[in-house]
Amino acid sequence: MGHGRYIPSEPVFEGAVLVDRPLREVCFAGVKRRYMVTSGGDLHLTCLALPGSDALFDISVDLLDEGALARLDGLYLSLSDEDIRLRTTIHHRSGGAISRQLFKGIAGGTSKAVFDGTIIVAPDAEKTEAYQENHNLLLSEAARVETRPQLEIYADDVKCSHGATVGRLDSEAQFYMRTRGIPETEARILQMLSFLSPVLETLPEDKRSEVTSSVEASLRSI
Amino acid sequence: MDIQQENKIIEEVTSGEYKEGFVTDVEQEFVPKGLNEDIVRTISALKGEPEWLLEFRLDAFRKWQKMEMPSWAHLDMPPIDFQDIIYYAAPKKDSERPKEIDPKLAETFEKLGIPLHEREVLAGVVAVDAVFDSVSVKTTFRKTLAEKGIIFCSFSEAVKEHPDLVRKYLATVVPVGDNYFAALNSAVFSDGSFCYIPKGVRCPMDLSSYFRINARGTGQFERTLIVADEGSYVSYMEGCTAPMRDEQQLHAAVVEIVVEKDADVKYSTVQNWYPGDAEGKGGILNLVTKRGICKGSGSHLSWTQVETGSAITWKYPSTILKGDHSSSEFYSVAVTNNFQQADTGTKMIHLGRDTRSRIISKGISAGKSQNSYRGLVRIGPSAAGARNHSQCDSLLIGPLCGAHTFPDIRTYNPDSIVEHEATTSKISEDQLFYCNQRGIEPEDAVGLIVNGYAREVLSRLPMEFAVEAQKLLQVSLEGSVG
Repeated sequence: MGHGRYIPSEPVFEGAVLVDRPLREVCFAGVKRRYMVTSGGDLHLTCLALPGSDALFDISVDLLDEGALARLDGLYLSLSDEDIRLRTTIHHRSGGAISRQLFKGIAGGTSKAVFDGTIIVAPDAEKTEAYQENHNLLLSEAARVETRPQLEIYADDVKCSHGATVGRLDSEAQFYMRTRGIPETEARILQMLSFLSPVLETLPEDKRSEVTSSVEASLRSI
Repeated sequence: MDIQQENKIIEEVTSGEYKEGFVTDVEQEFVPKGLNEDIVRTISALKGEPEWLLEFRLDAFRKWQKMEMPSWAHLDMPPIDFQDIIYYAAPKKDSERPKEIDPKLAETFEKLGIPLHEREVLAGVVAVDAVFDSVSVKTTFRKTLAEKGIIFCSFSEAVKEHPDLVRKYLATVVPVGDNYFAALNSAVFSDGSFCYIPKGVRCPMDLSSYFRINARGTGQFERTLIVADEGSYVSYMEGCTAPMRDEQQLHAAVVEIVVEKDADVKYSTVQNWYPGDAEGKGGILNLVTKRGICKGSGSHLSWTQVETGSAITWKYPSTILKGDHSSSEFYSVAVTNNFQQADTGTKMIHLGRDTRSRIISKGISAGKSQNSYRGLVRIGPSAAGARNHSQCDSLLIGPLCGAHTFPDIRTYNPDSIVEHEATTSKISEDQLFYCNQRGIEPEDAVGLIVNGYAREVLSRLPMEFAVEAQKLLQVSLEGSVG
């Protein structure tokens, strides 16, 4: 049988990025990276997987001290036959740290998107706050979405939540726009853009408009 | 409140014992310890089974031998020595009066609050199939039910009296090689309950199985098969207890439910196996497979479970939603205290169009226990219009326990909606203060808060069970406020 206890792994890793001050990163396509966030560290990472190629993101974050902050956002758009894998592991090794995750994706064509997100709260890591959200839209019969948001919590004075949804475009919202004279395709694009906008908005100024227009162009090409 | 006073309360309540932990002193017959083909043949012979069932068992045994114990659960499972278990134990029958029940057995069930004679109980009439170790002792109200065409009897009797029905449905929902413990059960299952509700019949009373482990060194392997034919309805309840012992005992059951077109089955469990002592010694290893299939269109199956017992629980009551417009629900409260471990949840497999499922799981962990929710929601390519909503909440009491959530959502149809949410929280100082300030003792306050937290699930239980479940929640959490 497997284990039912907290297995503390080695907290110091070679090749891990030490974050002891605010750090803003945006990564495209696949990346495998490990971050150690100490007190004063404020990590904000955005993962982007745009149409056209497979992507594998494997992000681990260790929150080592009180006051450490980590924010992970992700946007994935797979419209033909891409294979998108996102794996995040947030390990709250010490209490009083905060982590937030927001991942949103749209899958169409024959593509497949898989999200595996684990949050581990170590024993004694009291006053931890950990939040995670993963939302997906499915556009076609052959597209697949799998999501596994996992919580492993070994301390009691914590605030943790996760939410995951897989759905389709809201037909009522579509109807609303149609009654106001917005053509069907435009209404669909508008709704998909607004679905992704919470992640787009968090991008740094210099990348925001470029990524947004690239996303919009992809949506228009469906 | 000062610390002394607090400690006193904790001491008083932790000394409260598991009240079903007694042993019945009755003469029993056993098969030899260990597991091999001969044991399987012996069990089958003891029960006077037909050839096809022996073949079924042997096939299962051969499959099991090739399988490995699953290791994916979030559990610290001790190795199980399958050769160190007695697979069949039955109370000896008085050869002069073979039809009568040993008064000691009747007394045992009376003590457990399970009436073996047919009489009105608290919330109306309940028909009971009482299973003691490996055999069914008595099934009540059989005649009354037979008038409506309902078959309710022990599994062994069903094999003899209704072989066609048993053969038609056995292992159609949980195949022999489904998983390690289901295969083991299929090889050595001893007794259990069988229930068939004919077309269009509404079962006039709740049906119930009660499982009791008594003998030392044995395992219990029962099998329940429920078939609800077109348009029928039945509410089924299951309860269980075992003596307090230092050794761990294995319980590996299989429950199969077939729900035909427009039929409605409500299955409720209050699981109160001996959980082991405060040091984590002893207790039942509860490793069971429960699955139902909503076969016909418009069929409905609802699972409600209150899990307070067992040292280890490994249990995922699941539904295959095959019929169009069929629906299923899973309501669960799982409480773990001391060194208990639970890995429990459900699987909702959507195959039919416009199928709906709802999952509400409330985990409560205290002491040094570990409590996990594990669930699968799968929307197949043909399940257009399918809908699922899952809510999994965890409540932590004390800094040394763990609460975990492992949902798995797989969507293969664009015309479906799946939602999952989970939260983790603790009983807040504010809530406790509010109660204390109104003269409610800390222990009672925790009970009150927990009951409120679990209300959504408890309210789904049949009346008689609900009362018992509320009491159980309180008992299970005694001494967890520090």
